[in-house]
Amino acid sequence: METWRERILQFLFPAGSDTWLAILRLGLGLQVVLYALSLLNDWNYLFAATGSGLVSRNLGEAILSLESPFVPRLGWLIALGAHVGLGEETVLSAAWICLVAAGCGLLAGLFCRCSAILAWFLHLCAAKSGAFVSYGVDNFMTIGLFYLMLSPLPDRYSLDRRWRKFRPKDPQVLGFWRRVVQLHLCVIYFFSGLTKCLGSGWWDGINIWRALTRPPFNIIPPEILVSWKYFLPVLGISICLIEAGYPVFIWLKKTRLIWLICVLGMHIAIGLTMGMYLFALIMIILNAAAFGPGVSGMEGKGSALGRRRPASV
Amino acid sequence: MRQKSVYLACFILHFLLIITVSFRETLWLVARGLTIFPSSSKSYSARAEKATSAARGHNLAASSALRQALATYLHLAGIERGYGYFAPNVPESYKLVLELHYPDGRLEYQLPRVNRAAAGLRVAGLLDEIGRTRYDPLREYMVKMLAYSTWRENPDVTMIRAVFGSISLPSISEFEHGKRESYEFLYAYDFSRTDEATEVETP
Repeated sequence: METWRERILQFLFPAGSDTWLAILRLGLGLQVVLYALSLLNDWNYLFAATGSGLVSRNLGEAILSLESPFVPRLGWLIALGAHVGLGEETVLSAAWICLVAAGCGLLAGLFCRCSAILAWFLHLCAAKSGAFVSYGVDNFMTIGLFYLMLSPLPDRYSLDRRWRKFRPKDPQVLGFWRRVVQLHLCVIYFFSGLTKCLGSGWWDGINIWRALTRPPFNIIPPEILVSWKYFLPVLGISICLIEAGYPVFIWLKKTRLIWLICVLGMHIAIGLTMGMYLFALIMIILNAAAFGPGVSGMEGKGSALGRRRPASV
Repeated sequence: MRQKSVYLACFILHFLLIITVSFRETLWLVARGLTIFPSSSKSYSARAEKATSAARGHNLAASSALRQALATYLHLAGIERGYGYFAPNVPESYKLVLELHYPDGRLEYQLPRVNRAAAGLRVAGLLDEIGRTRYDPLREYMVKMLAYSTWRENPDVTMIRAVFGSISLPSISEFEHGKRESYEFLYAYDFSRTDEATEVETP
């Protein structure tokens, strides 16, 4: 029993460097900035309440309240702004500016913890208030920012470490948070792959055809897709295998690199062929942070901690 | 050592929740016969789904502190839903056409508009949400909101007919034989200045 406990602890608390955390911080900083910029002209329109928005923010927030009244939402900020005489549009614009600032803070590594908390909170408010207009990218951004906020920031590449002289963090705690991200990705891909395997359309390529011809993802003309029709079943089965096999093959030394390349390739292809650039980027960031350093050989350069024991099985 | 134990306990709780939520979604799909599993597996899956729902606190009263705490944590961590994107099969997509009626009898057709492609993806998600909802008043309310956002840009319009439909995509062989995507009527609503909607007809 004691040996099992020790083994589990060894697995969950490997001494690791903070390279993965730097990748996560930089990647999520970029993601937050691009997310905000992509909604620059539609921000107020998407998140306004009844009267000036696309679909009432109040409706989304009312439904959210049925689940729990304690989940952050833009309505809180707007109510707070109303107390000091600020209008809805002003508060929404201020929230957007703060989100960009938080993203820039993460990119620069300045006030890392505060930037991470602010980015998580504001993005969560937007994602929950605009639940009707949110999709997968918001879900994964929340996950990534949640872990970043709790991880032992700042990393050694941040300005915080250079200017504000923060002490290096406990390598085992760093390793633990990396494990959490790694294992969460394994659960994500396993269930994503499993549910795809349960659909007939992924085995004969029909779902690839439907995904690529379905508006608004129909970027590639169907005439081109038809010429690749014999390749579509192979593509569908490959996606099922890559995703369902991820929790196994990403851990084996011999297959880790090839699996990581396959997953990254899959997300790049989704981004380019379906126009889901932000979704592709967040998945690439999470994968690169979780499994990238051990594969690329970056980890440990310039750090005795990293040389001591790589944060992988 | 004590710090590690705390981390370990939190880790176990966190991952139990993630797996429960993901497993529940998979069981939900099986229970509704949306997968390749035989129909005999439906009842087992439905029972297992109920058990996982109970683990999420769904059997508790809506006002229960434990249920609300669980729901809050799931939302804060972004783990309130599973990961079956485009699974088990790619769902239908929907389209909303707004027929704008002007006082002089002129008609114009518009789609819900946004400024950038990134927001366009979100509007497509909203239409999917409207298409999926089985609660008529909610669907009507959301369509009304979309119609009114168009109204603000076209204040001269006296009436808007919102026609909501699904897009039928041809299969590969149908496409090769010349069939193209078609629009299948589902619901239509008339909105006038009096703010009262009339459902025109449903299939």
